[in-house]
Amino acid sequence: MSVFIDRSDRVLVQGITGGEGTFWTKHMRDLGTDVVAGVTPGKEGQSVEGVPVYHTVRRAVAEHPADAAMLFVPPRFTKDAVLEALDAGIRKVVTIADGIPLHEALEIRAAARSCGARVVGGNTSGVISPGRAMMGMFPYWIERVYRPGRIGVMTRSGSLTNEVTAMIVRAGFGVSSLLGVGGDSVPGTRFAEFLPDFQADSGTDAVVVIGELGGTMEEEVAEAIESGVFCKPLVAFLGGRNAPAGKRMGHAGAIVTGGKGTVEGKAAALKRAGAAVADRPRAVGDLLREILGDPAHS
Amino acid sequence: MKLHEHEAKDVFKAEGIPVPRSVLATDPEGVARAAREAGFPCVLKSQVLRGGRGKAGLIKLVRSEPEARDTAAALFASPHGVRRILVEEAVDIDRELYLSITVDPAAAEAVVLACSEGGVEIEDLAARSPEKIVRERVPLAEGLSPYRARNVAYALGLSGDAAKKTAGILEALWRVFRKNDAELAEINPLFLTKGGGVVAGDGKLAIDDNSLFRHPGREPGRDYYDSDAAFEAAAEGIPYLQFDGDISLMCAGAGLTTVVYDLIVDEGGSVANYLEFGGPNYKKAVRAMELCLKNEPKVILIVTFGTIARADVMAEGIADAVKRLAPKCPIVACIRGTGEEKAVETLRSLGLDPLFDTEEAVRKAVALAAAARGSGAAPGAGGSK
Repeated sequence: MSVFIDRSDRVLVQGITGGEGTFWTKHMRDLGTDVVAGVTPGKEGQSVEGVPVYHTVRRAVAEHPADAAMLFVPPRFTKDAVLEALDAGIRKVVTIADGIPLHEALEIRAAARSCGARVVGGNTSGVISPGRAMMGMFPYWIERVYRPGRIGVMTRSGSLTNEVTAMIVRAGFGVSSLLGVGGDSVPGTRFAEFLPDFQADSGTDAVVVIGELGGTMEEEVAEAIESGVFCKPLVAFLGGRNAPAGKRMGHAGAIVTGGKGTVEGKAAALKRAGAAVADRPRAVGDLLREILGDPAHS
Repeated sequence: MKLHEHEAKDVFKAEGIPVPRSVLATDPEGVARAAREAGFPCVLKSQVLRGGRGKAGLIKLVRSEPEARDTAAALFASPHGVRRILVEEAVDIDRELYLSITVDPAAAEAVVLACSEGGVEIEDLAARSPEKIVRERVPLAEGLSPYRARNVAYALGLSGDAAKKTAGILEALWRVFRKNDAELAEINPLFLTKGGGVVAGDGKLAIDDNSLFRHPGREPGRDYYDSDAAFEAAAEGIPYLQFDGDISLMCAGAGLTTVVYDLIVDEGGSVANYLEFGGPNYKKAVRAMELCLKNEPKVILIVTFGTIARADVMAEGIADAVKRLAPKCPIVACIRGTGEEKAVETLRSLGLDPLFDTEEAVRKAVALAAAARGSGAAPGAGGSK
């Protein structure tokens, strides 16, 4: 089993003929992802890496039913592309776009909620279940980072994910499913909304949350643990502990305003709920070993 | 992007929100002239992008032309970087309210926050007495319907004309919020005047940075940044923050750069600048290093773990930067990710000793910075071992 994406999912790629779309379509297929069709307006009849291209999502799914849409679409066209996928009946969407306008991010999330769909991103590397399937852009070929295993990962940062996941693997574990919710202040799907999936996933023993300053997503994770929605072990690593208030630390969502969104507050909430909080990337691996035991003997 | 008060009030006024009569001035003589026209007493309001201007002494009531001139001269000479002063008529205040519209990320809606106590920081109020805050959700698809505006006005305890006017102002504030792709549109305080008027005493408008492309002419100028380097970095689209410590961060990936910042502070070091040249900027190593060198850092610390930001391409950029800029301070590099084998070769040919562990790289940078501080000069030249 895995969370969000698996080998059985039929994936449509919007923006497939662009540089990133073409490059990562190849890698998604190499990893085992079932990419059934691509969409770029005006490019129907072409093919990319053997994948047929259509003008519109509606025309693509008429020939190739799809479960999920992967968007390699610039930020200002992302809302339109998401709505197009939802309109065609697709209920799982991943967008990597970095720079989606704030009000459009609200509209995207509202549209997804109203039809029971899930939009992951933007400003993310995407979603990967190592050894099974991928939607997005991950250097899965670097084995010391993307080894298959039984630890679920959720993250707001791509670069930090490589750093932390390398520590998970170094401690002897591997990754079941990794979900990048993204670094924006209004992500399409929030951390806590994936916890029931990880709870139900028989392939996941524990979850690592890679959070950071700003917003309330980490506090929502703490609430989900306290309310019993999620009962497996959870280790969090939070960036921005020493960040000065009022400074936006790279990501749109990474800012402390009016005393809200501090790492201190998030760590306290998570600890209160019974989660372990790592103070540096290496400690994530150490904590997993403490909680789950030595993976070589399990 | 936060707008200055006078810019926010121009937007409010154009949308029909009453604001006090005012004139913008750029020198003490101009302030004195504007004050004479406004009549006395009037208010001198420093146009700087920081909260708590009143407490910081950046807003002054003046009662005569000489007082206006002297007060303005003192404000322009203050260390707060005051370049413009808004000279505003004094308003005959009966009551003050708070009104704002912002986003609720979890609900995927906008939200109105209002309070019958104005002039206080809303965060303080939320912590002290949250029950006094009136909240009204606003789905974007519906917009702020008149009934929602009435809900807010009557929940504030207003009645009669004041309720009607306040509701009207809230509807106008919604138009401001939507048309400007705002993160925040705030009126604090909103004055109820003794003459029965309702007037925006202050104006805050923060435009979402990702939406600036739809607002030509709103590109932030030099006075929106706290340093030349920050302004130049913004023009390049490179995320940059100015600090005053020893170690220049030249990293890729926002999350990783933020954690490197944390680790440096933990190890007892200090940061000269936060610079993130990942994502679309990963080929801008030369420009990135140029910006770092403006701070005369004791060490440049490069940490990356890139996917799209390919390690080999970044390493070549760094090699190019070192050759062109010949930095005098040592460089500590920890470059991993796509193409890292080639990156390591490139860095070694530069005479650098690339590391593979972030924490090790941070400790080395902090030690080198401490050594440079101890000797009073940066050791070595053109890179280090």
